[in-house]
Amino acid sequence: MNRREALRQTALAAGAAALWASLPARTWAALAAPAGWSATDEALLTLIGDTIIPATATSPGAGAVAIGRFIITQATEFYPPQSIDTLRRAVLEIDAASRQRFNQSFAALSVAEREQVLTAYEAARQSGTHPFRLIKELTLLGYFTSEPGATQALRYDPIPGSFNGSLKLAPTDRSWAL
Amino acid sequence: MTNHPTTPGAREHTFDAIVIGSGISGGWAAKELCEAGLRTLVLERGRDVKHRDDYPTALKNPWDFSHRNKTPRAVVTANPIAKKCYAFDEATAHFFVKDDEHPYVQDRPFDWIRGYQVGGKSLIWARQTQRWSRFDFEGPARDGFGEWPITYDELAPWYSHVERFAGISGNYDGLETLPDGEFLPAWEMNDVEKHAQGKIMGAFPGRHVIQGRCAHLTAPQPQHLAQNRGQCQARNLCYRGCPFGAYFSSNSATLPAAAATGRLTLRPHSVVESILHDPATGRASGVRVIDAVTKQATEFFARVIFANASCLNTNLLLLNSTSARFPAGLGNDHGLLGRYVAFHNYRGSLSASVEGFEDSYYSGRRPTQLMMPNFRNVRKQETDFQRGYMVFFGASRAGWQQGNHAPGVGAAFKDRITRPGPWGIYMMMQGETVPRKENHVRLSSDRKDAWGIPQLVTSIGYDDNDEKLLRDFLARGQEMLEAVGAKKITARDSKQNPGLDIHEMGGVRMGHDSKTSLLNRWNQLHACANVFVTDGACMTSTGTQNPSLTFMALAARAAQHAVAELKKGNL
Repeated sequence: MNRREALRQTALAAGAAALWASLPARTWAALAAPAGWSATDEALLTLIGDTIIPATATSPGAGAVAIGRFIITQATEFYPPQSIDTLRRAVLEIDAASRQRFNQSFAALSVAEREQVLTAYEAARQSGTHPFRLIKELTLLGYFTSEPGATQALRYDPIPGSFNGSLKLAPTDRSWAL
Repeated sequence: MTNHPTTPGAREHTFDAIVIGSGISGGWAAKELCEAGLRTLVLERGRDVKHRDDYPTALKNPWDFSHRNKTPRAVVTANPIAKKCYAFDEATAHFFVKDDEHPYVQDRPFDWIRGYQVGGKSLIWARQTQRWSRFDFEGPARDGFGEWPITYDELAPWYSHVERFAGISGNYDGLETLPDGEFLPAWEMNDVEKHAQGKIMGAFPGRHVIQGRCAHLTAPQPQHLAQNRGQCQARNLCYRGCPFGAYFSSNSATLPAAAATGRLTLRPHSVVESILHDPATGRASGVRVIDAVTKQATEFFARVIFANASCLNTNLLLLNSTSARFPAGLGNDHGLLGRYVAFHNYRGSLSASVEGFEDSYYSGRRPTQLMMPNFRNVRKQETDFQRGYMVFFGASRAGWQQGNHAPGVGAAFKDRITRPGPWGIYMMMQGETVPRKENHVRLSSDRKDAWGIPQLVTSIGYDDNDEKLLRDFLARGQEMLEAVGAKKITARDSKQNPGLDIHEMGGVRMGHDSKTSLLNRWNQLHACANVFVTDGACMTSTGTQNPSLTFMALAARAAQHAVAELKKGNL
């Protein structure tokens, strides 16, 4: 029985397709704005996330999936309480670094300048866990589990149908999203 | 005390058989009893979960979860025990007991992972299924800590019986330490796993690397299609419930089969408080049930009672089933009820990286892994510890998560981390623990749950044998990964509490001798023959195998015996 046949016999017969179609289309942009954060903070985090994962020829960047709101919400609800302070500190430090280096806010910089600021910030020594790691982790999580991240930057196959243990990898092949 | 004849509505409350619990072993008892013609009542303390209809997250995408399938801090804080389970997350939390709703007392730390719903933990099990070997049944007697009243040969046909119906994938490996069963085609190994298999088996004769065996339909047979179950789609989202019915659960397989006979009555929200003992007959007459919602008490009656409430809850239920004849709990004439509880030692794991194989990849998500049957102390005592361990392992390439620790930003960084990263390999142990009399559960003398039932006290811990066995696994694992040519080998002792293995067994152990055991060779209480215990509580020892397949085989075998005894007029 091939995959299509298996699907027809089981999932469709059981109404699984209907379940699929009825799923709420939740996006982070649709969530309420997090308390205690200004629109400017959120926009700055979105810009930082979009600098880490920019739009490329085949897929949008992290800015396209409201990554600032994701980072704040996830840090608030999922990470230990002190993560919020870490996040605030990182935002302030990154903006201060861009003013020091280019005499302008992070938002006003070119893409190349933003990359320079973040590269230098990530390389700077910090006592304890580097605050940039939190931003990077949350950016990657939010982006690669988003629909564009999973389906365009990676390969997403919700129903593989079978397992192939020996597949020749072409140089252009992306990782599986799951 | 029974009040059978005078209970209002006694007729409607009387069945041929009662099965307490609808999980993996209760489902089997129900199916076999119903198919043999018995009107059977299945009592489940949790809510109903209908196959497919009640798997709300089964087909969700990562972006459909508000926390992207991470568990929010508030849920973690409220569930300090459940959240330790690897399978507990935003997509599956609805199938796990919430810690604050079902408290218990930890005399010594024990992580008790539970699933209270129709289907029990059969919805959220790891689905790895291996037969025990004769060495596992003979081990306790050889090593002087117990005695199984059955042999491998006696159970083998019942393994076949449950395997054919459930659908077990695996290779015919021809190993005495892990007997073959009735198999559907096995899953494949990937290229690095094949490489590891060759290196390990070349360097260490007697250590067999085989593909894991699991309860997934890799090629559904007519009996599976008749159950309306389909082929495994290699999604590996099993803990959400499978809309294809591709893995075995009570919900997808045994309960529908029982229902199809027209003789099944399934009653959710039914907390069984105790089994009733009738002094006139010397038998159990029925059960006392507290409605989980209304908290109203009711009684149900039957000639045969199967206790399949899950290992520790079956212990609790028998301990709480006191009467003039059994003041210390049903069948407990010697104070051994609740004792000799054992589990699996999961503390050790190793991980490493494997260089090369850069143009090799895989597709699909395999719901099992490689394994190595126990090779320690198999034919005789060889080490400074008793018994042995099974090893699980597998290899895979890093995905986008490789970017979490990699420096860089921008298009080149994005490009790099969206391509398959280096290969990693891991190993973990599943060690046998020796049942000790002091490892026990008992009833709390002062604390009760929301239904007025005494809370369970767990007093279960590791001992020196477990520490030695762990050290041996870590040393053998290191040498095997070195033989594979792996680099950056890291060995780890998680120090996890007993219980988190979710393989707790014993407390109502089987044995020939009624002075040293609770159950006879047919899983009947020595002292109350119409009560059968066929869940993890019945286990005399733990073996190194995942235990569910053995619970299923024991349940089916005991049910058939119960029917035969009823027909002979012995029950």
